Amino acid sequence: MTPVIELDNLRVKLGRREILKGVSCRLGASGAGKAIGLLGPNGAGKSTLILTLLGFHRPSAGAARVLGFDCHKQSCQVKSRVGYMPENEALIAGMSAVRMLRILGELSGLPSRVALEKAHEVLFHVGLGEARYRPLGTYSLGMKQMAKLAQAIIHGPELVILDEPTNGLDPAARARMLKLVMEMKSEHGMNVVLCSHLLRDVEEVCDEVVILKDGVIAHHANLEEERRANRRFVELEVAGDDGNLAASLREQGAEGVNEGGGRWRIVLPPEVGLDALWRIAGRESLEVQRLTHRRDSLEEIFLKAVGHIPRTAGAPAPEGVASNGRL
Amino acid sequence: MAVYRRGYQRYQGPLTGEWDRLLVLPRFAWESLMQQRLIAILFVLALFWPAGCALFIYFSHHLDLLQGFGGAASNIFQVNGEFFFVFMNVQSFAAIVLSAFAGPSLIAPDLANGALPLYFSRPLTRTTYVFSRMFVLAGVLSPVTWIPGLLLFAMQSGMAGWGWFAENYRLGLAVMGGFFLWILLVSLIAMACSAYVRWRVVAGALVLGLFFILGGAAELANAVLRVDWASALNPGRSMEQVWRAMLGLEPLPGPDAWQCAVCLGLMVAGLAVVLRRKLRPVEVVS
Repeated sequence: MTPVIELDNLRVKLGRREILKGVSCRLGASGAGKAIGLLGPNGAGKSTLILTLLGFHRPSAGAARVLGFDCHKQSCQVKSRVGYMPENEALIAGMSAVRMLRILGELSGLPSRVALEKAHEVLFHVGLGEARYRPLGTYSLGMKQMAKLAQAIIHGPELVILDEPTNGLDPAARARMLKLVMEMKSEHGMNVVLCSHLLRDVEEVCDEVVILKDGVIAHHANLEEERRANRRFVELEVAGDDGNLAASLREQGAEGVNEGGGRWRIVLPPEVGLDALWRIAGRESLEVQRLTHRRDSLEEIFLKAVGHIPRTAGAPAPEGVASNGRL
Repeated sequence: MAVYRRGYQRYQGPLTGEWDRLLVLPRFAWESLMQQRLIAILFVLALFWPAGCALFIYFSHHLDLLQGFGGAASNIFQVNGEFFFVFMNVQSFAAIVLSAFAGPSLIAPDLANGALPLYFSRPLTRTTYVFSRMFVLAGVLSPVTWIPGLLLFAMQSGMAGWGWFAENYRLGLAVMGGFFLWILLVSLIAMACSAYVRWRVVAGALVLGLFFILGGAAELANAVLRVDWASALNPGRSMEQVWRAMLGLEPLPGPDAWQCAVCLGLMVAGLAVVLRRKLRPVEVVS
């Protein structure tokens, strides 16, 4: 399968400054409908990478390929298969949403009549149906974000690049935006590249994550596998005599470590589900007070990748990282 | 099924070709421009002079209708290179005014609203974008420049006969070629001004002002330095010199047609550089 993004020792210079310093990786698989998260602190090179994929910057060395096409030499082929939602304001204030989307749809190659139909269709899809004839300048920030998403998907691209799609959105609008992104990949089979500072957004939506730091890849993780692995790591808190719990877990093929105070860390084999733990607790007359999968793995991954000391419970967040995971 | 009921579906059908996409921006821009009353009024006003010229040609072939002028009528009503030069001069001014009002609304909103990334993330290059925008102005200016010019030439040829056409076909070519050069120059000036200032009103004033400022500066340089070559810096004057050469007329005093053509070529190159620097999808601060 063709990778969605293939970087081969990619170097990009802006002026005399080298922003991307030999990045190499293969991300996603064409047609798989997966989301790739792009993370990194400010100045790491995320935007430069996105703009290089769109053919806006010329690589000084190496190559970048999107869906098998070279981003510089075959930029027209790339652009006709990609939808881009920029971070900044980009909508023409005096134009109605329908007209703007129709123009952009036709520029993407949609026939005129289809572009008009799709403009209406996609505006209803993102929840702007009633406001579609209003000038874009009168839209709220949330509506503008939705309109930007609409223009990115009007032509049904194979890959959608979203730059900070949830910026400035209230919780309800953020949830709606993430739901739309999830639908894009699961129902419409689009591949998504999500660039965000919000680790929770990336964790919620993405299957793969790349962390950039100082123009190089600091970490590349498959979140799907992490999630699968996390399902095997369980934190259990019980009340009662848990002296025989370790032996009972071993009988089931699981490993458990007692952390004291009734707190256990357990690794389940793939074939053993959580119901087995409930059965053991019932047999041992233990009261289960807490039973959770391990979480916040992305935050841990991110902090390790960018070189911060991993947080311990109760410790203040490292400089530059808020407690909600926002950079 | 109603659009709001059927939900979003990915488009999987055939895409249009490169040439169709090239005409998307002009099509929408023409539609917007023709909805502006001021542009429509200017457009109509710009056609008065060609109508007057058509009457002139008609009377030049019906001198019997002008008995009041006596014998002088045959001297006044002559359709020759000078006639077409005057026609081109007047229409070139109309073209400047039209481009000053129509030109800035093409590029300035895209730049002021930061819309270029949306355009350039589609299969549209900077060159295609500039050509698209130039098509818009060419479409607006053509009906007031070379099209009426060629119609007048055809009218004169029809009334004067094949002999006149064979002798003066060069005038028709000069009218068309001269106006093409003028449309190229005026469109680039209008686009470069709106790309530079990004504010429609100011850009329009700058387009108008540029012709007067450069003309004044050229005359000032001539007077101060006691030279005549500075006239070449005036785009209007330079173009007049080139047109006179194309129409086979006596040149104006000052730099000759080739020198003026080189100056105009440098201006076009300079304007292209301004557009290249300003029309970028992203600003790079290095």
